[in-house]
Amino acid sequence: MLDSARRTPKSCCGDGSSLTASDAGAARVALVGNPNTGKSTLFNALTGARQRVGNWPGKTVEVAWGSWRTGDAAATPVALVDLPGTYSLVPRSPDEALTRDLLVDRGAEGRPHLIVVTLDAANLARNLYLLAQVKDTGIPLVVALTMTDTAAARGIEVDPRALSEAVDAPVIPVLPREREGLDALAAAVREALADPRPCPAADLGPAVEETVRGLADLIGSEEPEVAALRPARWAAMSLLSGDEVPWATAGLRAAAAVRARALVTEHGMPGTEVPDSEPAAPCAQSSPSEHPHAEPPHEAADFEDAELVLAEGRYLWARHVHAASVHCSAGSRATWTDRIDRVLTSRWTGLPLCLGVMWAVFQATTTCAKPLQDGLQEFFSGPVTSLAVELVGDPDHGGWLPGLVVNGLVSGVGQLLSFVPLMAIMYVLLALLEDSGYFARAAFVADRLMRLLGLPGQAFLPLIVGFGCNVPALSASRVLSNRQHRLLLGMVIPFVTCSARLTVYVLLAGVFFGSSAGTVAFLMYVLSIVLVVVMGLALRRVLFRDSAREPLILELPPYRMPTLRGVALQTWQKLAGFLRTAGGIVVVTVTAVWLLSSVPAGSGRGGFGGVSVAQSLFGAVARFIAPVFSWAGFGEWHASATLVTGFVAKEAVISTMVQTYQTQDADGGAQASALGPQLRATFEQASGGHTVPAVLAFMVFLLAYTPCMTTIAAQRTEIGGRLTAVSMGLQLAVAWALAVLVFQVGSLIA
Amino acid sequence: MMTLLESPVGRPLALLSVETDPRCRLRLLELGFVPGAALRVVGRGATGGLLVAHGDARTALDSATAAGLRVEAIRA
Repeated sequence: MLDSARRTPKSCCGDGSSLTASDAGAARVALVGNPNTGKSTLFNALTGARQRVGNWPGKTVEVAWGSWRTGDAAATPVALVDLPGTYSLVPRSPDEALTRDLLVDRGAEGRPHLIVVTLDAANLARNLYLLAQVKDTGIPLVVALTMTDTAAARGIEVDPRALSEAVDAPVIPVLPREREGLDALAAAVREALADPRPCPAADLGPAVEETVRGLADLIGSEEPEVAALRPARWAAMSLLSGDEVPWATAGLRAAAAVRARALVTEHGMPGTEVPDSEPAAPCAQSSPSEHPHAEPPHEAADFEDAELVLAEGRYLWARHVHAASVHCSAGSRATWTDRIDRVLTSRWTGLPLCLGVMWAVFQATTTCAKPLQDGLQEFFSGPVTSLAVELVGDPDHGGWLPGLVVNGLVSGVGQLLSFVPLMAIMYVLLALLEDSGYFARAAFVADRLMRLLGLPGQAFLPLIVGFGCNVPALSASRVLSNRQHRLLLGMVIPFVTCSARLTVYVLLAGVFFGSSAGTVAFLMYVLSIVLVVVMGLALRRVLFRDSAREPLILELPPYRMPTLRGVALQTWQKLAGFLRTAGGIVVVTVTAVWLLSSVPAGSGRGGFGGVSVAQSLFGAVARFIAPVFSWAGFGEWHASATLVTGFVAKEAVISTMVQTYQTQDADGGAQASALGPQLRATFEQASGGHTVPAVLAFMVFLLAYTPCMTTIAAQRTEIGGRLTAVSMGLQLAVAWALAVLVFQVGSLIA
Repeated sequence: MMTLLESPVGRPLALLSVETDPRCRLRLLELGFVPGAALRVVGRGATGGLLVAHGDARTALDSATAAGLRVEAIRA
């Protein structure tokens, strides 16, 4: 059952091409469902993919896809796509738009052959709403009924056979964590692929059905090319809802507007009173020719109300299906999740507990990781370095290869790997918080804080992701439906201190602050949060004055015991990603720094590889920049050199430090000495004896300036080139001003 | 009749109407906040929002949204 799986970046422009191009000959199956229905867990169980699993609304920020063997070698291979969790196919965000795009707007050749819809047995009515929309696509489907154990514990029994009859599709109960029901699901999918049967639409009542049918017929007769590329029923629904679809002609829009108004008039104002369980009578039909100038003043309102009528129709259908297939032996009552929430989200304890949890995470990462980190550093500076010397020669005896390998690659990669325990501990703790369901509560607790910035509470989730890495955080900003909010969030995310910066804090804090290193690192996180708030407030006042208020409507998953497999998968995936990115960057940067350090500049004596770093091209560049930082107390070329490579990636900062210090005396007999004393000497000399304020200023600059080149690329994707340029300039200006402030004030106090 | 924001914690409620802007109303509908739905406030958050039980789902709403939901108390 297991096979390989790959991931493709999700974008609103879509990369659905990967669905078809890379899996020629395979049947395309899409996995669709509400957030927190076990969709990603099922995907992992079916494909063995290293996809992130967690109960965090809107968390799935990438489309994952993999191959799924549904039977023996003779069975049709299946390319399974895990689409982002969504409550509806009426898009409000790029995430949701992508799901709709991949399901209906790709033409028959690009659409999936089959959809597997996950339905949460414990929240069936709400999940059936999405199923009603998916059925509008007409694509054959199989239902995977998840969370049956949770439902049973709450006294909810779902009859799969009755549900299958009611929804007119195969229903297979599955428990992906326990790998139960997977073979039955595979058999159902195999059968459905062998004998594909278009899925019948949900019956939304005579009035809606008549209206939709009339509009679908009109599309088929007047715009056959539109009908050929997408399901006619879906197209009619989109027009009635007033979706801004590019294929809609003026005639179709006009016809839809007339029908939408008639439907709303017949139905009454939706959502404002308890709907009649008996559907209304069919409404009068009109054709565009009868209303050649149908552009009523309240057309948008008619479309909005018609959309609500369709939504109520889907819920009426969902209620009928629910009544036919679900038996509840207990009413809604307070659960232990509610009792925990009373403490964790309380107005008195919620925020202090949230801050306490974050402090504990970062304290644990710095304190627990220290011995392991020290051990690894000794291992690389001892046996590994000796082995490298044996293999390529001693750099003390000259030659470019020993210098590059021993002083560059071994030292740089060794420094990077020594941070693996720290990163692993942090990723484990973050995975535990995420899988337990706490992160969604943190968004609720932080809602007021986010509103200060003009952002909804959901923005807290991408910001938290940013503490791991800014790049996925920028992608996660797509969970916000309002464009202005996304732009604002995209500009403040770089001020969230990422894990790559943590490695530098830990090193510097360890060297300069000893036993208080954990607290200093934590304070950098507090400062990062303050910066996010202040910059958000400032940007809101200057650039985003017109941003609308976004309501907080956030489903909270029940608290769950994280599984060892889930935590291990998440940790490994993040760690591997960090090492892949950082490893490549470190090797490239180390080589580039070595190359620039080997080229003599100015009065530097000696040929290629025979010059000291101070007299090399790299040293010249760093020395040229260094005076900019004089007021901040670290106007010294070693410091500016690390900041130059830190602009490329923070993962390269430490390796550059190691490289510049270890190779600086290459022409005078290099000694691979400890970094700590050299760093102390550098900052003491550059700051005129005010070492502590200078180091703090350096750390503050590191926190606030451009995170890395990848972040710039991600920002450009999310907020555009112009705002990215503004954002970069802002980061550099803020970083410099803060560093100067910290050093000048610190020097006065000291 | 009262708004959800004014409702005491723990009391069973029935949703009468949703009087918010249409986009917000549709999202609430999609999440199951349809007129007639049984609700219960399970907690008030640190920032004035509410935690609401509807069926077995729990949803966090900010205070402005909660003020747009009209409810009435029902018997348990």
